Amino acid sequence: MNRISSYQLGSMIILFLIGSSSLFLLASEAGKDAWLSIFLGMLLGLVLLWGVNLTLYRIAPGKNLIEIIFIYLGRPIGYLLSVSYILYFCYKSIRNVREVGDLSIMFLLPNTPLYAINLIICAVAAYTVFRGIGAFFRMAEFILPFVLFIYVSLITMLAITGVFHFERLLPVLDEGIKPLWDAAFPELISFPFGEMILFLMFWKYSVDEKNSVTRTAVICYLISGLAIMTVNMLTLTGLGHLATILLIPFMQLTNLISIGQFLERIDPLVALLLFSGVFFKLTAYYFGAVIGLQAMIKLPAKYIILLIGLLIFIGSLQFKSYMEQVYVGFQFNLKYHFPLFQIAIPAVLLVIVAIRKKIKERAQ
Amino acid sequence: MNTGKAGGSKSETAIVKHLDTNLAYITDKLGKEQDIVIREFEILTSSRVAMAFISGITDNNAINTLVMSMLKETQMTESPASTEDAYHFLMYRSLAVGSITKFDNMEDVLQSMLEGSTVLLLEGHEAAIAAATAGLERRGVEEPSTQTVIRGPKEGFSENITTNMALIRNIIKSADLRIEYIILGRQTRTTVALAYMQNIADDKVVNEMRQKLKGIKIDSILDSGYIEEFIQGKKYSPFPLLENTERPDAVSAGLLEGQVAIIVDGTPFALLSPVTFIKFFQSSEDYYQRYDIATFLRFIRFGSFFVSMLLPSLYIAVTTFHQEMLPTPLLISIAAQREGVPFPALIEAFLMEITFEVLREAGVRMPRIIGPAISIVGALVLGQAAVQAGLVSAAMVIVVSFTAIASFVIPSESMGTAGRLIRFMLMILGGSFGFFGIMAGLMILLAHVSGLQSFGVPYMSPLSPLRINGLKDVFIRVPWWAMNRRPGLYDRQGTKREATDMTAAEQSRGKKEGGGNE
Repeated sequence: MNRISSYQLGSMIILFLIGSSSLFLLASEAGKDAWLSIFLGMLLGLVLLWGVNLTLYRIAPGKNLIEIIFIYLGRPIGYLLSVSYILYFCYKSIRNVREVGDLSIMFLLPNTPLYAINLIICAVAAYTVFRGIGAFFRMAEFILPFVLFIYVSLITMLAITGVFHFERLLPVLDEGIKPLWDAAFPELISFPFGEMILFLMFWKYSVDEKNSVTRTAVICYLISGLAIMTVNMLTLTGLGHLATILLIPFMQLTNLISIGQFLERIDPLVALLLFSGVFFKLTAYYFGAVIGLQAMIKLPAKYIILLIGLLIFIGSLQFKSYMEQVYVGFQFNLKYHFPLFQIAIPAVLLVIVAIRKKIKERAQ
Repeated sequence: MNTGKAGGSKSETAIVKHLDTNLAYITDKLGKEQDIVIREFEILTSSRVAMAFISGITDNNAINTLVMSMLKETQMTESPASTEDAYHFLMYRSLAVGSITKFDNMEDVLQSMLEGSTVLLLEGHEAAIAAATAGLERRGVEEPSTQTVIRGPKEGFSENITTNMALIRNIIKSADLRIEYIILGRQTRTTVALAYMQNIADDKVVNEMRQKLKGIKIDSILDSGYIEEFIQGKKYSPFPLLENTERPDAVSAGLLEGQVAIIVDGTPFALLSPVTFIKFFQSSEDYYQRYDIATFLRFIRFGSFFVSMLLPSLYIAVTTFHQEMLPTPLLISIAAQREGVPFPALIEAFLMEITFEVLREAGVRMPRIIGPAISIVGALVLGQAAVQAGLVSAAMVIVVSFTAIASFVIPSESMGTAGRLIRFMLMILGGSFGFFGIMAGLMILLAHVSGLQSFGVPYMSPLSPLRINGLKDVFIRVPWWAMNRRPGLYDRQGTKREATDMTAAEQSRGKKEGGGNE
């Protein structure tokens, strides 16, 4: 299998974290200070990334999350935890598939049945996983400049149209720091910053010279965090309070673009941007689940890919509506379920791994 | 070209002392047709010698000279003591021909005759002498019919491998240029040459290529296309994994960048490998023209490739699903045109695309004389009349013709073909799922090419994996003085193309000259 260069790893981290998150107004409860809340969330997430995920990787290099769990927690608990992590990855993938599907119907294809769209997404993702981890990361490397280019040109066009009014951000910290904290913890850590836990499945494939994995992960994490924050801030300056109640404020914002009565209705392009961002996210989770299952049972890769793909496809049709998906996500998952997988279990795992390692060293 | 004992047949028939038995063997195997010529002489007063060759594939002048030298020399000398001496005399003193080979079994004799050699058999001696007299009138060096350039060498390969190798050797006069010959094809026994620069090419690639060539077991090789498919193996891809070219300068440039070339006797198309996606968009003219226009043309080519892949599907998607993207006046005009058209946009586009493909194929196959008739029918009847009859809309005709023209911009025909096939897939996706479908199709394509490798070189490099140095010759063709390193994709790492201080030397010289005109 091909090694992943640090540039490829970085591209994937940026695409993965930006994903769809810059299109939505994250931390909308914080109102016009949402962008500050994102900054706070990013710092908290950095502690998690640096302190827990990367430390776990450094203590047990060359092992993915599932393998670490099996080695340090033994069989029964290992099976339980591994299966729950695989299901968690699948669930994340399912949510993203459903998101693309629903948004495509909303903005691009009003008359197409959901299952057809989801089937196509799953098929494309399955093919990508089938091509292997090297190909997947090279894809990210290839597509990142284009995604960044589209973002930059959209923002430039918005600036030319003249929709940004920075006075809408004032006064900063009108209601103190409490709303910032409330919005950031744990929601912002759960989505998108805490999702870096997935990369514990991929780090072992990357070239790690002179701690390059740690450096790349942290730098790219900060880049994507700042990018999300910037887009968020610009959305607020463009739409003001309206941004907090819209479904996809960035889409609404780009509708305002009007240059020379020629470049006007480019929201299908934004929908495509969303598609490519979310695609990488859902495929990364799909990949995580496949690698995890491969570490547990011995089956040819193609069967595992098919199995997980089928699971994701069927799962993506289970929500009754987009609204239900959003409601479940924000009311339950972000608050209770995801922190368990992203913060609690990794932290406990880290403590156990550290202690067992110490004991081992003492014994020798 | 004499290939020696490369055959290695299983059951060898040794040459016997009795000359008539040997001659009977030849007539038995090759038949008594009139192109099989066997002529007997008596030389050195008593020794019987028979000369056998196949007329047509041998050079008459060479044979005349051979006969003359043999008879002349032998008349003047006194008779030798034994047949051994006669043989020795023939071998070392009399024959006026450049290259001779000694054989001791009949299979090799037959084989060398089939390759154009003239064989001398001596009564009472168990060996034969084959003199290289191959010579066949073939097409000479002409301007290549594909990959034409405005500025640059006009020589193209021909069907003769000796000429082709000479053309390459004439460009690269270096001892590091290695050429290995392999015979392939049980029946055709085609000579295949593997050429590489010993100091530049990657040894692993050369070894792998040699292994793959030797592993080819087939009865005939009629074109390099056979070898291309054998080397690619079971990996399926619409994209070409080997480059083919008719141009000696392109092959030489490839060799100098570290690629390995395969030249096959009987075809002007040489193969180059390993290869990347970008390579198919580089024309050899890029390097002969000024770099600014070369860079501009690169962008035109990449743009045209995407147009030829995407334009029909985008048109279908916009008119079927995303009408709001068009400016209103254009939308109204397209809607008015499409009003009388009975088919959905997808069917309309398919109709026109298939028509174009048929026209194109007809253009390649038809006799040249019928050309004008086809173009009238194609342009007038299928374009103009189809619109007036209300079968297709005028906008669709524009889209299809622009797509067709764009597809001819790509320098490599094999990459153009890939774009054609992909176009149809994307049209179906665009017609059923709009932009979403096209995007899904492009993602699949991207996943596909990202996983492709040509002899260990990732297909999308130097874009992914990113090689900053390689980017000097992708979208932008930097001036020659700035390309001081090879692209670093196929060659051994770290070898330089230019002297280290090339640019520095240039600049300092420029300063000394005080900015005078050159």
